[in-house]
Amino acid sequence: MNHCVPDFEMEDDYAIPASSSARARKSARPEDEIMELLWRNGQVVMQSQNQRSVHKNCKYDAVIPDHSRTPASQLPPQPGNQNPQLFMQEDEMASWLQYPLGDDDPFCADLLYSDSATVQSNNAAANPPPISAPLSRPPIHPPMRRTELQNFLHFTRNNNNNKSRIESAAPSGSKSVVRESTTVDSSDTPLVAPCSRVMDSRPDASNTGMSMSGGGRGVTSTTATSFGATAAASAGKEAMTCEMSLTSSPGGSSASGSASAEQTWLQKPPPAEDRKRKGREADDAECPSEDVEFESASAKKQTRGSSSTKRSRAAEVHNLSERRRRDRINEKMRALQELIPRCNKSDKASMLDEAIEYLKSLQLQVQMMSMGCGMVPMMFPGVQHYMPMGMGMGMGMGMGMEMGMNRPMMPFANVLAGSSMPTATAAAHMGPRFPMPAFQMQTMLPNDPTRGQATNQSEHMLNSLGTQNPNQSQMPNFADPYQQYITSQQMHLPLQQNQAMAQPSTSKQGSSRGPEHHESHQ
Amino acid sequence: MSSRRSRQSSGSPSIKDDQIIELVSKLRQLVPEMRDRRSDKVSASKVLQETCSYIRNLHREVDDLSERLSQLLATIDADSAEAAIIRSLIMQ
Repeated sequence: MNHCVPDFEMEDDYAIPASSSARARKSARPEDEIMELLWRNGQVVMQSQNQRSVHKNCKYDAVIPDHSRTPASQLPPQPGNQNPQLFMQEDEMASWLQYPLGDDDPFCADLLYSDSATVQSNNAAANPPPISAPLSRPPIHPPMRRTELQNFLHFTRNNNNNKSRIESAAPSGSKSVVRESTTVDSSDTPLVAPCSRVMDSRPDASNTGMSMSGGGRGVTSTTATSFGATAAASAGKEAMTCEMSLTSSPGGSSASGSASAEQTWLQKPPPAEDRKRKGREADDAECPSEDVEFESASAKKQTRGSSSTKRSRAAEVHNLSERRRRDRINEKMRALQELIPRCNKSDKASMLDEAIEYLKSLQLQVQMMSMGCGMVPMMFPGVQHYMPMGMGMGMGMGMGMEMGMNRPMMPFANVLAGSSMPTATAAAHMGPRFPMPAFQMQTMLPNDPTRGQATNQSEHMLNSLGTQNPNQSQMPNFADPYQQYITSQQMHLPLQQNQAMAQPSTSKQGSSRGPEHHESHQ
Repeated sequence: MSSRRSRQSSGSPSIKDDQIIELVSKLRQLVPEMRDRRSDKVSASKVLQETCSYIRNLHREVDDLSERLSQLLATIDADSAEAAIIRSLIMQ
């Protein structure tokens, strides 16, 4: 669309000073010059573009004389947006045209005319003018392409620096693009190339692009997307694809502002974009929602001006990526919430808190159970030393599922044999016996009511331990001595603990001693 | 959340974000396979995902262990202390 052009022109890339003067110059020029301008819009009119492009790719430099100040800004003020647009478009095309300058003059003229005509129609349904054929290089497709291209150029320029990241995204884009571009993929112009690519694929891309992005902005974005697609398809020109992919991102955000966001977003969107491109239908299905957003946003942006447009586009893209990311996270939070029993929290932070505690309690529970499993078959009195070690080792967070290994739970058996107390009591006794300073159960204490009965007993045990031994770092130490004890029975440290722990009757004392031992060990 | 700029750091969101970041890191510490990974590079969604799978694994383990304990319970004297312990474990 024509309005696209203004945006492009308005791009804050270059400050366009005396637009009026330039305009005057342009108007002053004779038709042929104008044509020339048109033809060379890239160079003349689009001075800004050219200049920019010059910076990037000095392809255009040859053509443009002195119209340094014919920035895009001039164009809009000029009567008839089309002129500027034309120029803009022309510029794009001009850049391409430069190469075939000599040959394409008549061609260009036709092109210009056709462009002008098409320009009016902007984004006319891909009607690539025949010019493309003659123009081997720059596929001069209908103006809409140009506009798209311009936009695209804009993007590309902006995205040049983003190429690196674009490239990564490009491949993905390219795949889908392949089918898009067919007309003139050969466009080689570096900067233009992408554009030309875009142009080529315009018809297709534009369609998709259009679908993608609706309004003017959309055009650019679509162009970019299509462009990227085609570019990728045509030549795997990473730069282009990169840019395309960039643009392809929903908002076709010129990465300038939201580079990072785009990057992250690109990683996601490119595949998504590819999928979209691959399946037009899919695109149509997906794009509508996005299109609506883009269109409205783009429309707004266009009215605000190019600079704000760019930023808003970038912000748009960023917002989209952010939204996707948030959706993913919310989805996972919901899944987590389902796993946690009796979780009635809707707040993220509290839910995460509960998840953490539940996870700890679950780990503890598993440890206890595995310990119990190991204990039962190993029941035999006398081996009192093991108990504290086993329990101690199992309880540490770091221990994870070590208890699951069914170490000889002698201590367990010991305790059991020694005392015929009721379950709770036994648990209580067992608790103090365990030199488990590293009890994360402590954190669970406040959650007892919430956890219900499930972990009460274990918690009870742990609580007692926890209170006695707040020092969690001792856990690993227990493990080592335990192992040594098992193997060589030469660890006196565990023995001391065991002795302290072993006696059921002196369980309390043992527990008190246990921690002391542990601490002394430490 | 952010309209224009990437991030609008207002008062409340930043507080909550910090909280959440901390919780996510805590969660990461709990999940064994994510404990030693390089930090700050794992996205929250990945942490949540790993946590969910880990919790499911733990559930499965608890079920297996409960079953085993039940079997053990059947083999031992129901009045013994071990039985009591086992029952307590299963009841959890």
